[in-house]
Amino acid sequence: MKKNHIIALLIIAVVLILDSIAGIEFREMKIQEKIHPTKTLTKESSLSEYCTNLQGKSGDAKIYFFDSGNLGATVLVLGGTHPNETAGFISALVLIENMDIKQGRFIIIPQACSSGFTCTDPMEGTPQSFTIETNSGPRKFRFGSRVSNPLDQWPDPLVYSHYPSGQQLSGFETRNLNRSYPGRSNGSFTETVGFAIMELIRLEKVDVAIDLHEASPEAPIINAIIVHEKCREIGASAVLNLEFEDLQYALEISPKKFRGLSHREWGDATDVYPFLMETSNPIQGRLRGKTNSILITDGLDDQYERAVRTKSFRISYELAGEPLSLRVGRHIQGIKAILDSYNEYSNDKKIVYENIPSYDDLVENGVGSYLR
Amino acid sequence: MSIELLILIAMLAAFAISVFFLKLPAGVSLMLAAITGALVDGEGLPVRHLVEGSFGFLEAILIISTAMIFMKVVDATGALRTISYGLIRSLYRLPLLLMVIITLFIMFPGMLTGLSSACILTTGALVVPALLAMGIPPKPAGALIAMAAVFGEIAPPISIPAMIIGGGVDMPYIGFGGPLFVASFPPAILTAIYFRYRFLKKFDIKEVLAKMEKPVYSNHGIKLFIPLIAVITLLIAERTFPELMPHLGIPLIFLIGTLIGFGTGEKFNLFQLMRSAIRNALPVMSILVGIGMFIQIMTLTGVRGFIAVTALEMPESVKYLAGLIMPFFGSAYASASVVGIPLVFVFIGRSEIVVASALALLAAMGDLMPPPSLLCAYAGQLVKVKNHFLILKESIIPIIMTLAIGVMIIIFSKEIGIFLSKIF
Repeated sequence: MKKNHIIALLIIAVVLILDSIAGIEFREMKIQEKIHPTKTLTKESSLSEYCTNLQGKSGDAKIYFFDSGNLGATVLVLGGTHPNETAGFISALVLIENMDIKQGRFIIIPQACSSGFTCTDPMEGTPQSFTIETNSGPRKFRFGSRVSNPLDQWPDPLVYSHYPSGQQLSGFETRNLNRSYPGRSNGSFTETVGFAIMELIRLEKVDVAIDLHEASPEAPIINAIIVHEKCREIGASAVLNLEFEDLQYALEISPKKFRGLSHREWGDATDVYPFLMETSNPIQGRLRGKTNSILITDGLDDQYERAVRTKSFRISYELAGEPLSLRVGRHIQGIKAILDSYNEYSNDKKIVYENIPSYDDLVENGVGSYLR
Repeated sequence: MSIELLILIAMLAAFAISVFFLKLPAGVSLMLAAITGALVDGEGLPVRHLVEGSFGFLEAILIISTAMIFMKVVDATGALRTISYGLIRSLYRLPLLLMVIITLFIMFPGMLTGLSSACILTTGALVVPALLAMGIPPKPAGALIAMAAVFGEIAPPISIPAMIIGGGVDMPYIGFGGPLFVASFPPAILTAIYFRYRFLKKFDIKEVLAKMEKPVYSNHGIKLFIPLIAVITLLIAERTFPELMPHLGIPLIFLIGTLIGFGTGEKFNLFQLMRSAIRNALPVMSILVGIGMFIQIMTLTGVRGFIAVTALEMPESVKYLAGLIMPFFGSAYASASVVGIPLVFVFIGRSEIVVASALALLAAMGDLMPPPSLLCAYAGQLVKVKNHFLILKESIIPIIMTLAIGVMIIIFSKEIGIFLSKIF
């Protein structure tokens, strides 16, 4: 055997060993977190109930139903539309693991883009998981990709053409659930997930739907509630009430020309009142420094501190950091304010629930105190 | 000294030592630089991150390998030399127009695909024989092709860096046509003028044509161009009729073009051509694997954010120049994502679409720059210049001119925006 052949074989062997080590780590992302709903859970289902094409696929996200049995409003809460926006997922978990429903119905999807929880994005250097200390010990949660796993939908087109509007976006967005509504049952993998969620909203006659997100601190729309124009008043009232509690939220109206987003398509195609909330998450930001799991939970970042001091542009980053407990607190308090406001405006349908911690509870005691 | 700066210096030093002293390939050197960065940061050997980063440019690697095979086939059928021959014979009396048309011709695939590499590997390869036959030395010929590829990446209708920047600031890809035209065509034409007057001397058309490989159009007729027409048609159709056309992906389109090549021109041995194509493309593909690891470790260790914030920290009087840091990310996409998005916010209140288009132009220059110097590496292969940094050296004047145009567009973005809104 020639010398260069021996070297080539050695290199192949080393690459195989390294790939195997990485492969074991990648496979770990397929392991789903254990979720511990309260006793008021009435049904556990998944998106394939609303679109059979998702059966057996990694997009078949779990759905948790909390039905009081008393007539009232139906509320849908979506976490994990973007699996790298941790506060959305954890806020949905706080609801599932503390909910005591009294009137109406809660439907919660904690990991709406379940496929995106099975991978991370190349060149982003993000951790695959993070740990929260709870009363029953440490719990590990996955930190995923913003979009569906390329193993489920690939290759990306050069340009993503949104169905049915034809709006053009970067090809990467073709795997973004929040650019894929209203979706279609026979469309791409992500469009199918979007379609199933739309079907759920229609068939379950959802009255209020809240999509929980986060954004990089430099994003133009941050610490905000985005509403469809038909529920502007409910949103404005919620923002006002939050202001009385010393919590600042910007109220943004969903742009009519920007298609594919939940707050636009849900509102246009169904009777639901759609809301989307954003908090400031440094690990998503392009200016972030060292990228690790502590940044997810503590939200402290040296580079953002430097960036804020430049005063070059508006950056929503507090020098004390943007910890996960605070971000979850903002989402939970925002949900409460929206539902309080909805109850005020709705004559016949109400939603009544108990045992959900407040913003102050979460900031003071930490989010781990409200996870089982 | 901050830890991030220390890591950056260690990574660059490891790359330089590996390339210049150990004489290792650029791709391997980038991998070693990435490992060095992780070690200095105390991350140990982060195997998962290195493997994950290496997949960062998987699609580009597939495109390059299939495009190289396709171009070898088009070359072997005789289509390549027939086009070059025809181009020179019909336009030799108007050398300036010839150079401008050659530049726009190279840009064409990039305008459709948003990929600079597609320009070099398709139309760039087509015009190489013509440029060399006209007496332009190999290094400037490579530089012209590399520069035109950058402009093709930015020119409308498709500019991926502009889309990346737009996506990062929730700006849909609407209304970019005019601003991207302003950011791409004027510098492209100026570049063509520069190469015309600097390097294109008077030539005897008979001598040039005699030096060139003879066209084979008379033997095969129009069917000679069927593979090229098929690839261009599929690329356009996929973008124009996404509802009707199944999404094939560029690599598959190039493979379809390759298979169509049989029987359209001179005979060829596909297996040998594929071996030769992959052998040629391997160094570039390894650079892409290495740069993916390099960026992943830069992000993991906080060096990426450190560079971006350093750009923002520049004093008010020179904040326009912050954009000039963009090319030094060595990749258009990385630069658009890391620096381009924050800079749009810095210039908020101006015409954001015009600013994003100018930033996309500055970001695209990153494809020329080290460490990977990707476009120079491609162009070097086409014109058979082994040290691709010599191609970069020949590109310095057009690069400076383009950077100046990019900064000027940002400075006058408001006025340009108003002007364009009256036209479109």
